Amino acid sequence: MSDFYFSNIVLIQSTFTVLLLALSIQIQFRMGVFSFAGAAFYGMGSYGTAIFVLHYGFDAISATAAIVAICAVTGYLLSLILQRLTGLYLAMATVAFVMIVTVVAHNGGELTGGSVGLFGVLTTPEISVPHLAVVCAVVVAAMIFSERGSMGRRIEAVREDPELASAMGINVARYRRMSFVISGVLGALGGALNILMMTAIAPENIGFPLIVLALTIIIVGGSRSWLGVLIGALIFTWLPVMLEQVGTYQSIVYGIIVAIAAIFMPGGITGVVTDLYRRRAARRDSAALEDEAEAERRADAADDEAAAELGAELAGTGAHSAPTGESR
Amino acid sequence: MTTEAVPHEGVPGRRVPDQVLRVEDLAVHFGGIKAVDGITLGLERGLISGILGPNGSGKSTLLGAVTRLTPLTRGSMYFEDRDFSGVRPEQVARLGIGRTFQTVRLLDDLTVHENVQLGHDLIAGPRRWWRRVDSTERDAAEAAVHTALERTGLDGKEKLRPGQLSYGLQRRVEIARAIVMSPKLLLLDEPTAGMNRFEREEIGRLMSDLRAEGLTQLIVEHDVQMMVDVCDHLFAMNSGQLIASGAPADVVRDPAVREAYLGKQDNDDRDS
Repeated sequence: MSDFYFSNIVLIQSTFTVLLLALSIQIQFRMGVFSFAGAAFYGMGSYGTAIFVLHYGFDAISATAAIVAICAVTGYLLSLILQRLTGLYLAMATVAFVMIVTVVAHNGGELTGGSVGLFGVLTTPEISVPHLAVVCAVVVAAMIFSERGSMGRRIEAVREDPELASAMGINVARYRRMSFVISGVLGALGGALNILMMTAIAPENIGFPLIVLALTIIIVGGSRSWLGVLIGALIFTWLPVMLEQVGTYQSIVYGIIVAIAAIFMPGGITGVVTDLYRRRAARRDSAALEDEAEAERRADAADDEAAAELGAELAGTGAHSAPTGESR
Repeated sequence: MTTEAVPHEGVPGRRVPDQVLRVEDLAVHFGGIKAVDGITLGLERGLISGILGPNGSGKSTLLGAVTRLTPLTRGSMYFEDRDFSGVRPEQVARLGIGRTFQTVRLLDDLTVHENVQLGHDLIAGPRRWWRRVDSTERDAAEAAVHTALERTGLDGKEKLRPGQLSYGLQRRVEIARAIVMSPKLLLLDEPTAGMNRFEREEIGRLMSDLRAEGLTQLIVEHDVQMMVDVCDHLFAMNSGQLIASGAPADVVRDPAVREAYLGKQDNDDRDS
């Protein structure tokens, strides 16, 4: 176990940080907000933490807290600016935001380290995998809470039918704003923890490739649940390592897997499992309802039979039989 | 009986009936199309009012305007004498106006029970993670949802999803979701569409029961017989305007209403 842990520690770290990155985008999708701002917040988280540590002497916790707060506020301001946009227009606007962050990283001079980036981000206390695991566990717990009960139903309504949600008293605009703030927090956390573990960041580590990675994870794992994101994060962090055997064909195999998942599993892996479960439950429910209906039919038939017997008896005794039809 | 409210106001000695909803000179225009054009009406508390009218007469648009889901071009709306013309749609629901839609709008991924619970969430308020929901609260919510399901004949179907239900049953889920909100005013947009005669009678009885409990209702429906049987007051609309208002039997006999539904009488005579 410990051999596996130490030989794969970088992959384990990446799994956690990639999970946070993907959740920062998935939470917005879950609320019906087609935004990729999470990738920008991840970049801001990495660079912000590096800047606070290297230029201002912050410790790991203060630097992380500061950049998370900044990204949460940025997320809120961004939500106000983009509140009238939906669908592809919103997606494009947030892609532009990701690009802006990348351009700033490239051209930030000494502050961002330019094209070389920033390195040597060493802090005390040193952030390790258990710290990451705890943060991810807290985040996942919050996600589980948000998927259940009244919160889960409200988010479902906001995504599937905003007009219905409004008619149910749900402030859809507030949920959308909230999604940007949460995305800011999760993206910044992922980026901050990544730089604190990896100690270096360069412009090519952020930007558009992060959007592609997160989107791939969400599509293959499933966009409706944190579990889908976790499955996707595990697959796409570990798959490239497993595909090393196929050498130069690695990208092709990777692409085929994504294409197959997108075509045949529109709800992702979790979507397929959920569908199977529901179909089974539907068959069971239908059978139960049919049994119930059959029992009712039998009871009705027995009643009719008893009524007919009583009628015959009454006719036999010379009494007038009751009318058999309804008096409607 | 329900009356037009505005002319009564300010007239000395004239009693203004207890109206839950009052709309004045309400208009909804989509470009050059006047979907609703200068409607003024009031709904008296505890009664069932209905809106009749041919397709495209603006009935559903009027409900959309009242719930603020459709933007107003002009006009004022008062709910329990409070002007709510400028509030957001979600605030309308919180005022106590519940509704169903012309086409069924349920959440396919949720069960029947969860769809109805969504309505109860409004009165329960958003759940805060730091606030523990005690068992009494949970039991009360469960009882409210169960009662709504029972009243709409959905008991036993709680675990099904909308896709497994007939259109008529889906309509019932919508009605259950609306009544579990404990509204002061219930707007029902074609509540019996897709139902057979017996189901329509059941829904009619449910409406009468709700009236007996004091719930004010406004129904948009094409089934004229049902409207006459169930409603205390009828409004008739055509081309976005109110063409008749009064007792159901009088409104359905109104020449303007017959003309809106059947075309001009002289045309009918010529045809026959």
